[in-house]
Amino acid sequence: MACQGLQKGETLESLKRESETLKKKLEEERNKLNDVELHQVAEKVEVLSALSIKTRRVLKGHGNKVLCMDWCKDKRRMVSSSQDGKVIVWDAFTLNKEHGVPLPCTWVLACAYAPLRSLCLIMNGYLGLDNKCSVIPLSLDKNENLAAKKKSVAMHTNYVSGCSFTNSDMQLLTSSGDGTCALWDVESGQLLQSFHGHTADVLSLDLAPSETGNTFVSGGCDMKANVWDMRSGQNIQSFESHESDINCVKYYPSGDAFASASDDATCRFYDLRADREVAVYQKDSIIFGASTCDFSLSGRLLFAGYNDYTINVWDVLKGTRATILFGHENRVSRVRVSPDGTALGSASWDSTLRVSWSFSTGSNYIFRFIKLLFWVNSRLVLEFTVAF
Amino acid sequence: MSSKLHPSNNITHARRTVNQLRIEASIERIKVSKASADLMNYCTENARNDPLLTGIPASDNPFKEKKPCTIL
Repeated sequence: MACQGLQKGETLESLKRESETLKKKLEEERNKLNDVELHQVAEKVEVLSALSIKTRRVLKGHGNKVLCMDWCKDKRRMVSSSQDGKVIVWDAFTLNKEHGVPLPCTWVLACAYAPLRSLCLIMNGYLGLDNKCSVIPLSLDKNENLAAKKKSVAMHTNYVSGCSFTNSDMQLLTSSGDGTCALWDVESGQLLQSFHGHTADVLSLDLAPSETGNTFVSGGCDMKANVWDMRSGQNIQSFESHESDINCVKYYPSGDAFASASDDATCRFYDLRADREVAVYQKDSIIFGASTCDFSLSGRLLFAGYNDYTINVWDVLKGTRATILFGHENRVSRVRVSPDGTALGSASWDSTLRVSWSFSTGSNYIFRFIKLLFWVNSRLVLEFTVAF
Repeated sequence: MSSKLHPSNNITHARRTVNQLRIEASIERIKVSKASADLMNYCTENARNDPLLTGIPASDNPFKEKKPCTIL
């Protein structure tokens, strides 16, 4: 096979030299603008008052590790997928299971709820034979055989690690172990755009919030987080500061930044307009990898699930840990804040899902006062009975 | 990882890397102080609408089971 044509004067060495020079220039340009650290600027912000976020619901029903969960846009339904081969749609209010969709293979790695009532599933055959992403239109009719209506949309040459519908629900973005991401038309299954640049498995992707345009971020085993233009397929920004696989990437609610969770036991925060990492969320006592992360509605809190079974809640601005949620009895595989921001859903290898939220302190005092009243009342009843 | 090492692939790969770096080096950036201030402002503006931060009053809690109340 003939060598690819070299431009005049270009050699492999000259290209490598130019590559090194550009990398240095990139580093210099970024450092010039690093005039202050985020946590220093954030000293002006009030310290968070003690958070009363606690796990208040446990959803049992899966028979094996829960690998993924997502919230429905109606704010009350959750969907989860498990190694037991089932996808369950839960009503998070009543804890009822609305649908149970059994699937032919056990490696349902991920699921996502589309804005308009359909469900996307990634199914990878045990021997890597499937590598497909399928879409199932969900109906409220419990008798419908949903598994029969599934439609294959995406196909990669290696396992599919993540999927997300675009805002219109008509396109699907996927990330894969084959090192690429791809954009598909849901109706026809046609590949619309592919994204090349990662040099190892891509493990996660997240779409920019709708107001800020057509970009998405991806992270993978090459320890890089890349930002892409969805229309052109161009990699517009790249961040390489993690020291191990990036398991999850998530945009900050304003779209100007994103966070990543990694096997190096840290979560990091990158600002897109400053084009650099602006915070690292870590502690000496945290030595297990972080597999998932999500922001609260205001972006002040970052929830991250770890392989030591905990969920650490970070103060995004100050860089400190605000609180820690215990309860899961195995690795936390996914955390997701509900669309209206009221609750945190978490999925785990312990085969349960948990829903956590916070009561305002006013309510706490009222509860305690009412409890006190009942106690006093019961004591009085006792006194009178004894007297007579 | 799909491509195997091959002389022509090395050149193509190197040229692609150089082009990519050229694009990345040329983007417009802002100072971290400005970026941080904007992030902070977004947080403070939206803090009161963040139920996980402020907490929800028990009466509004949609997840709460509706239990009948008995008066002693």
